[in-house]
Amino acid sequence: DSHTQYERVGADVTMKCGSMDWGSSVTWTANGTDIDESHLNGSYLILKNVDLTQSGQYSCYEGSSWHLKYQTYLSVGLPPKEPVLMCRSNNYPKGFYCSWHLPSPTYIPNFFNISVIHGTREMVCEKDVFPKNRCHIRYLQLFSTVKYKVTLTVTNALGKNSTTVTFDEFTIVKPDPPESVVAKPVPNNPRRLEVSWQNPSSWPDPESFPLKFFLRYRPLILDQWQHVELSDGTSHTITDAYAGKEYIIQVAAKDNDIGTWSDWSVAVHATPWTEEPKHLTTEAQMTETTSASTSSFMPPPTTKICDKGAVVGSGAVAVCWTAGLVLAAYGVLFI
Amino acid sequence: MAAADSPSLALQRRDLCSRGIRLAGKMRSDVVELLDTYVERQGLDASVSVAGVEGVPVAAVERWDEQTGTQRVLENLAAYRAFRVLLAEMLEEQREQLGDTDTALGRALASVLLQVSAFTYHLEELLRLESLGLPSEEEESPPPLDPHLGLFERKLRGLRVLRELSQWAVRSARDLRQIAKHSPATSSAPSPAHSP
Repeated sequence: DSHTQYERVGADVTMKCGSMDWGSSVTWTANGTDIDESHLNGSYLILKNVDLTQSGQYSCYEGSSWHLKYQTYLSVGLPPKEPVLMCRSNNYPKGFYCSWHLPSPTYIPNFFNISVIHGTREMVCEKDVFPKNRCHIRYLQLFSTVKYKVTLTVTNALGKNSTTVTFDEFTIVKPDPPESVVAKPVPNNPRRLEVSWQNPSSWPDPESFPLKFFLRYRPLILDQWQHVELSDGTSHTITDAYAGKEYIIQVAAKDNDIGTWSDWSVAVHATPWTEEPKHLTTEAQMTETTSASTSSFMPPPTTKICDKGAVVGSGAVAVCWTAGLVLAAYGVLFI
Repeated sequence: MAAADSPSLALQRRDLCSRGIRLAGKMRSDVVELLDTYVERQGLDASVSVAGVEGVPVAAVERWDEQTGTQRVLENLAAYRAFRVLLAEMLEEQREQLGDTDTALGRALASVLLQVSAFTYHLEELLRLESLGLPSEEEESPPPLDPHLGLFERKLRGLRVLRELSQWAVRSARDLRQIAKHSPATSSAPSPAHSP
């Protein structure tokens, strides 16, 4: 006779050895290991103030014959606390999702039941296969003033708990962040960055339910963001970027009329276009002059220092100038 | 909506829709603000249920995406004509209660009434553009206010009017976008500036 016995953490547990009398001689094991007689009261096993580590297979054997008389799996856990339930529509006007979790583990299996009421109508919440703590409700009506009432009940062998959230159709609308955010420098424009993005793929009909966007950007070296709100379009040109500075850029989305802003998109980085240092040709000429006057001095090639692939922006210009000055100094010494 | 071949007709329709969408947006934000004022001035609980209040055009609709353009315009027109009457009654009640309407609430009500009237006119223009006859107002007007309705019932009715009007303003913007999107002439009209 084997089954599972659920007990609460901290409880005192008494196990009887099946139909054996109290006075019978028995041996108890836990996960195959003999249990000390100090835990026995006659043939009963007494476990006081059980904790999670005491979960396991408990077996009782008749003293002389070692016949298995009783077996149970002890599962120590907790009743569920009030679950956390959240409903949100990232796919308006198709429907909304409700997802939930427990604030702390119970260590034993839990069962969830969700009910969705709209006025007098009970609606179906289609459970997702994955993640399994989420379900989807299709809107049967749009533009309703009647609130939705969603109740989640969680039950396990040790107890039950529930929570209810009430909301109206518009307040839970929150799109996913914009996707495929790209930021590029604009050739010949040292203060511009061109940013483009796409509507979140989960938003089903952006033409009929257009989104507006919020763009934020700052140079990496500063903490303060600049913000731009855009009522249409999925691109924007930043025109006041600091020349040569790397920027971090993010975009958020919101339905044009209802709901709340999405989370920020994945951040992208970009640096505005900078002019190629023109003095490279001047340095080349100075290098040739220096080489012509001394046969023993061979300056290193300046193009490596000024290689754009290695250093980008105004830093590259400073290094090149330094190299040029050094070369000029050597040239003067040897002429 | 009736098929329209003329590009100028298409442009007029699109123009009416765009202006209507902007009007609906402004109307909505003013109604939301008015709702807060109304609840406060009337001493109501913001979450009070008004489900039992009748005679107010309900914005909720099933299968909204399946409606034709004509259905959309006609349902909007019926609703806003009713709101025009209801808001005028609310303004009159203000006058009766307080002696004048030059209060913040009275002015806000008057402003929304003006916008509702403008929007109604807009919808009538849209129907005229499609050479569709305007339905008679007598058929659609809400039942006259019951003179025996108590003060509290009138306040609840006012609350329902504003709540439904707020939803209608959102629905109207969506309806106008659908009309502009599915207009037979949009395929010949220049493509809209914004794109997903």
